[in-house]
Amino acid sequence: MPLKTIKTDTAKALTLEWILHVKSYRLKLDRDNCVGCQICYYACPKEAIKIESQPKTQGEKTKKAKIDIDLAKCNFCGICDILCPYGAIKVTLNGEHNLSVIEKESFPQLVRDIQVDASKYPADRVKREEVCPLNLIGITWLSTDGRAVENVRSLSKKKRKELKVTINVEKENCPCCRICEFKCPEGVLRVRKFFHGRIAINPEKCPEGCMDCLDVCPITGALYFSDEDNKVHVDETFCVYCGACKAVCPIEDALELKRTRIVHTPVHSGAWNKALERLTSPVEMAKELKAKGSRKLMESVEKRFEWKATHHA
Amino acid sequence: MPEKTVEAEEPRIGVFVCQCGSHIASVIDVEDLTKYAKTLPNVVYAENMNHPCSRQGQAEIIAAIKKQRLNRIVVAGCSPRLYEPTFQRCVSQAGLNPFLFEMANIREFSSYCHQNTPKEATEKAKDIAKMAVAKARLIKPLKPVELPVVKKAMVIGGGIAGINAALDLADMGFKVYLVEKTETIGGHMALLDKTFPTLDCSICIEGPKMVDVGRHPNIEIISFADILKVDGHVGNFTVKIRKNPRYVLAANCTGCGECRDACPIEYPNPSDMKLGVRKAISVPFDQAVPLIYTINKDYCIECYKCVDACGARQAINFDQKPEEVEVNVGAIIVAIGYAMNNPEDMECYGYGKYENVFTALEFERLILAAGPTGGKVIRASDGQKPHSVAFIQCVGSRDINKYEYCSGFCCMYTLKHTVMLKEKYKDAIQVYVFYNDMRSNFKGYEEFFNRAQKSGVNFIRVKLENRRITEDPKTKNLTVYAETEDGEPVKAEAEMVILANAAVPAKTAVDLAKILNIPLSKDGFFAECQPKIRPTDVEVPGIFLAGACQGLKDIPYSVAQGSGAAAQAATVLSKGTWIVEPIVAQVNEELCSGCRICGFACSYNAIDFEKVGEKELAKVNDGLCRGCGICGSACPMDAITMPHYTDEQIVAQVRSVLLVRGEKP
Repeated sequence: MPLKTIKTDTAKALTLEWILHVKSYRLKLDRDNCVGCQICYYACPKEAIKIESQPKTQGEKTKKAKIDIDLAKCNFCGICDILCPYGAIKVTLNGEHNLSVIEKESFPQLVRDIQVDASKYPADRVKREEVCPLNLIGITWLSTDGRAVENVRSLSKKKRKELKVTINVEKENCPCCRICEFKCPEGVLRVRKFFHGRIAINPEKCPEGCMDCLDVCPITGALYFSDEDNKVHVDETFCVYCGACKAVCPIEDALELKRTRIVHTPVHSGAWNKALERLTSPVEMAKELKAKGSRKLMESVEKRFEWKATHHA
Repeated sequence: MPEKTVEAEEPRIGVFVCQCGSHIASVIDVEDLTKYAKTLPNVVYAENMNHPCSRQGQAEIIAAIKKQRLNRIVVAGCSPRLYEPTFQRCVSQAGLNPFLFEMANIREFSSYCHQNTPKEATEKAKDIAKMAVAKARLIKPLKPVELPVVKKAMVIGGGIAGINAALDLADMGFKVYLVEKTETIGGHMALLDKTFPTLDCSICIEGPKMVDVGRHPNIEIISFADILKVDGHVGNFTVKIRKNPRYVLAANCTGCGECRDACPIEYPNPSDMKLGVRKAISVPFDQAVPLIYTINKDYCIECYKCVDACGARQAINFDQKPEEVEVNVGAIIVAIGYAMNNPEDMECYGYGKYENVFTALEFERLILAAGPTGGKVIRASDGQKPHSVAFIQCVGSRDINKYEYCSGFCCMYTLKHTVMLKEKYKDAIQVYVFYNDMRSNFKGYEEFFNRAQKSGVNFIRVKLENRRITEDPKTKNLTVYAETEDGEPVKAEAEMVILANAAVPAKTAVDLAKILNIPLSKDGFFAECQPKIRPTDVEVPGIFLAGACQGLKDIPYSVAQGSGAAAQAATVLSKGTWIVEPIVAQVNEELCSGCRICGFACSYNAIDFEKVGEKELAKVNDGLCRGCGICGSACPMDAITMPHYTDEQIVAQVRSVLLVRGEKP
């Protein structure tokens, strides 16, 4: 059988496959989880990913931008998978989600610093508010013998107090927006962002009444609409700097988004440096290199940009 | 013997009529013809003899030249293509310039084609002889053209034919550039598991030769390179080559493979027919020569893990650029091999649609111990060993709608595969071969066919038409349907099907033919000069063919032709100068207006233009001119003459035959 290269595109998922006699590679983009941000577009080392804003229909919410991946360019390296803040892309080899770029230390992983202290959660509280905008938090009550208790509400308050609570966060799909941390009165959750940056809306350029960015922003509260000036504003506390808003904004420069730092596991990799440069800026990349104190890499930066990174940093 | 000067003398023509056994004399009245020849102007001597081409005959001609003081010789006999060089040497031996000879072809033009009308045939032979005499009165001595020879050769293509050609030439002491398109030499043979009929391990017998090439002090391998341009002619070709960047410095790479182990990226390996993968920095197979790693930038993510792994050796350079080099060689051997047709376009076989249908070369990689499955023959659908395998022959070849020719080696490699399967799995596997003719016609091949039959392979002789395969969607097993020669339907169920797909000309053949200005045959392979007695020559002197690029052939014949082409190239390289027939266009500089029409007319790029004073003049490259005369007829100024075929000589011939009949020329 010759090598099969297959691309299947449905409303639910975009799947790319290489099926060889001895191996099969698969990239699956879950269109439900995908928010149409720009991270994979910038991250892809083969420039295989395209992002297109969708046509607007009168009276409907703006649709999130749509990702397309070129099968002829994709090499199934998995960098998009690693960097997707929402865990929407999965690259597998023979069905296993073990990425060679991580195993060979040629690409870092995002550090999703999410601390959960379930002991602070009052076990008798059953009425709970859904705090996660992406529904990634699950609470399970366990009886003393470790079994999951199905119907907690039917138990008496006293019985409830005997139960043990476990809190499970779907970490790999979590963009670390910190909403849970702020909303939880007991301080059960503590979250650190992995993307740092700046976002601002230029009120002069932002058209009145346009809510395109707000329509697509997956993080409730990161953007809000003000009746005072009929415009969208930003709350940087919760913004994850993913760029879903930027991808749909109809006016150039109305929305300024800059990522300045990405928290990742330590690595020594040219592919990471390039991804970082595209996701942030050459200056930010040089800063990281400087921080690493890696002279050799600094030299390569100087060679590439013909300036000394230290001058600008 | 010093050459006699005859220009000042009145022509004294001797005509020798050949009887050619009975080929001529049984139709043409040679006595009458001889008598007639004596009456022609300036003919002072005529005789007929049985075989003037024999040693005896030549001795008689030499004697007659001396005795009769002849200074122009006409032989009325067969085609000049066959015997002109012989008689030119004979005339030369008698002390005359070899171009004071003219041949009248009364055999092919008269006795052969007018066998039933001997009287008329004799009359026509007289006309032919008369024309030859009319020209002979005007022919002049010519001096041969000598070209200096660069004592180096180029072999294009590093398959088994090219390897042998390069080794033979290098062993003779000539410097050889072996230019290979891919990363390694070895060609198709390096990808095979075993060779028929001996079942020798293919790379085990080719590998040492590849290593010899790599180590030979006279051979320079230029791999991962393309031929861009070839200028010049026999004895002195200038070849422009582009070395493509490997992003690995050949001088620093030790071939250790540590970079490959560090690399995280894999891509389908074309050397494994894409059944398996190779790393973005790797070699196509372990025995590669030269053993230099290559980065495939189509897949590389530039993580620089290889740079770290390479360390102090510093062999990796991501900034490497393509490099163009120019080399001068005296002779070129073309040995670019062949390609395999993708049978996906023949839907009846289901290749590409049914998972367990393979091509023969894919099967070769499956059964190879160093292959992607480690030598396990397994199905694509479930990874299980098949209990039955069917082979289908002539898929695309011997089909007038696809490839009319027979691919030549498929019968034998299929026999090899069947014997290997049967010997490996014994009765645990059923093997069927759907064939039309079993072509096992060389040394040891028929015996090998017998061995396959004895090993229990089921050979089913079927028609080439109406063969098809269907798949059971559940089990993914396949059923082969065919018809016997009598039209009886036959079928067999098999868990795996192997197609003997057609071998086709290499993809680069068309471009290379243009670059070298050599012709292709109708089938797309390079055209040899003469299929029987000049199978390694092409129309351009100094360029030779070896291996499957001339026509499909298996390993021993590619090896032999490689050596043959090397010997041919050595006939050029061993001389200090190469002598060209002086029938090359002559430009009269007084008349030439520099209009360039001749340059456009020339098919051999033999005419350049040079500025001489105010004028630009046509200048003929003697090494490239083939003496066709097209430039002369195209020239509006009548400035180009073709020696030995001057206007004067040709007009004299035409007049001589037409005037007698009362027709105006």
